Amino acid sequence: MVKEHQIIAGNFDLAGRASSDLKRLLKHSAAYPRLFINRVCSASYEAEINVVIHSVGGYMTYEVESDTIELNFYDDGPGIPDIELAMKKGYSTATQIAHLNGFGAGMGLNNMKELSDRLTIHSSPRGTHLQMNFKVGERDV
Amino acid sequence: MKLNELMALMDAKSYTPTLMKDKDIHFAFCSDLMSDALVIMNSVKDPKILEHTILITGLATQQSIRTAEMLDVDVVLLVRGKIPSEKVILLAHEAQVMLLSTETTMFNASGILFEKGIRGVKYNIQW
Repeated sequence: MVKEHQIIAGNFDLAGRASSDLKRLLKHSAAYPRLFINRVCSASYEAEINVVIHSVGGYMTYEVESDTIELNFYDDGPGIPDIELAMKKGYSTATQIAHLNGFGAGMGLNNMKELSDRLTIHSSPRGTHLQMNFKVGERDV
Repeated sequence: MKLNELMALMDAKSYTPTLMKDKDIHFAFCSDLMSDALVIMNSVKDPKILEHTILITGLATQQSIRTAEMLDVDVVLLVRGKIPSEKVILLAHEAQVMLLSTETTMFNASGILFEKGIRGVKYNIQW
């Protein structure tokens, strides 16, 4: 099953809506371990917040298979100039508005890496594509 | 500790009266930074722990509700007298998260609960 959600830049009222939708879908399907659902949705939420905070807007898609899930986040820029630096715990370019919403402490990308089974990022000034893959495994039991 | 008892101890009010149920609370996690809540509570392997956990925060936006929802934590306590907006209360109902509020500060609220035997969620905590 594939589904797409728009993510609006700077809109904290709607930030997390796509991940909530994914959470409810997975919970109702009753096919996945709870720990798996929680890590997929927490990582999705972090990625969604990143698009809201840092980009000019974008969208996410999720592809749900029997024991794997693929999440893709696309935005239209301005891109991550130095991915290695951005992956450093505590490094952040977030602004006050992100802090007021409980994010922007430079934890997001690290958390996504920890929660997912594979994280890949391609970025240019024209946009960023972040992909996360999850597979039900030992850590979910 | 029962949730009702916890609420009485710090004179907490509920913004989601129709969702309220009296349940056992054994654990708590305090943070205004939702990234920390997400990653630390995701390290907990026993789902029973989060079922009996309360998230204590000064963040009265949708993000504290979303975070609780992602983690299957169903009680959020706002400290320092924070008042959630209508939108936040609506989201709490939608996500089935009990939303409480107290005038007590975060440290004092935590101290009251710790004295009563509530323990903090940490990395890979076991029951």
